[in-house]
Amino acid sequence: MKNRIKVYRAMHDLTQEKLANELGVTRQTILAIEKGKYDPSLDLAFKIARFFGVAIEDIFIYDSTAELK
Amino acid sequence: MFKIVYNGCNMKRNTFYLLTGVVALAEVGIFWLSVELERPILIQVAFVLGVLLIYGARRMVEDRVEDERTAMITQKAALRTLEVFWVVFFVFSLGSAVVAFSRPLGLRPPHPGPPNMAPVDVLELPFVGGFAVFQMALLCLMIFLYVGFKMYYARKYGGWDTDEEQD
Repeated sequence: MKNRIKVYRAMHDLTQEKLANELGVTRQTILAIEKGKYDPSLDLAFKIARFFGVAIEDIFIYDSTAELK
Repeated sequence: MFKIVYNGCNMKRNTFYLLTGVVALAEVGIFWLSVELERPILIQVAFVLGVLLIYGARRMVEDRVEDERTAMITQKAALRTLEVFWVVFFVFSLGSAVVAFSRPLGLRPPHPGPPNMAPVDVLELPFVGGFAVFQMALLCLMIFLYVGFKMYYARKYGGWDTDEEQD
């Protein structure tokens, strides 16, 4: 799944560490999500979207072809 | 939903690792003492206390080290370890069973055998000691498997990636 967390982080001038602390996860988790190596749970995805004040679809883009790889 | 908060008893991560090392060394010493005194209960109690101490200390570590991704990595590593380990364990157990069934089991008097033949000991003490060492070796194998799988999944799910923000 693709995502735009890095873009929203830059828009809010946030480091991975700060975002991780706000969301209650480790920095490595934010890094893994940004790089597309880990798909967050629905709960965490909603938390991220609400933190940036946008809809979940604005941040996460479902890529069906990625599942076939 | 609740969250456990520890006040005034937080611990640095390095302090936790140091404590773990000290506990491990102490366990080795107590094991030796237990062998010298021939009191197995000593190391058994010490081991349980040591594990409880480490589990308790881990919950006091200041830096957050666990979240949903690390929980998933732990789950996957544990599942794969179990999948591999039960096969290995079963193979060795089958071998042991064959050896055991090749001898009298002690359920009924052994075959008389030829006259003047000494009765067969079913479970000699050295055999029990060898079995304990064998169990420990299997346990070590399980730990190695778990650590290996954990490293594999940590790498797969981006645990060791670096980026521009890392020091």
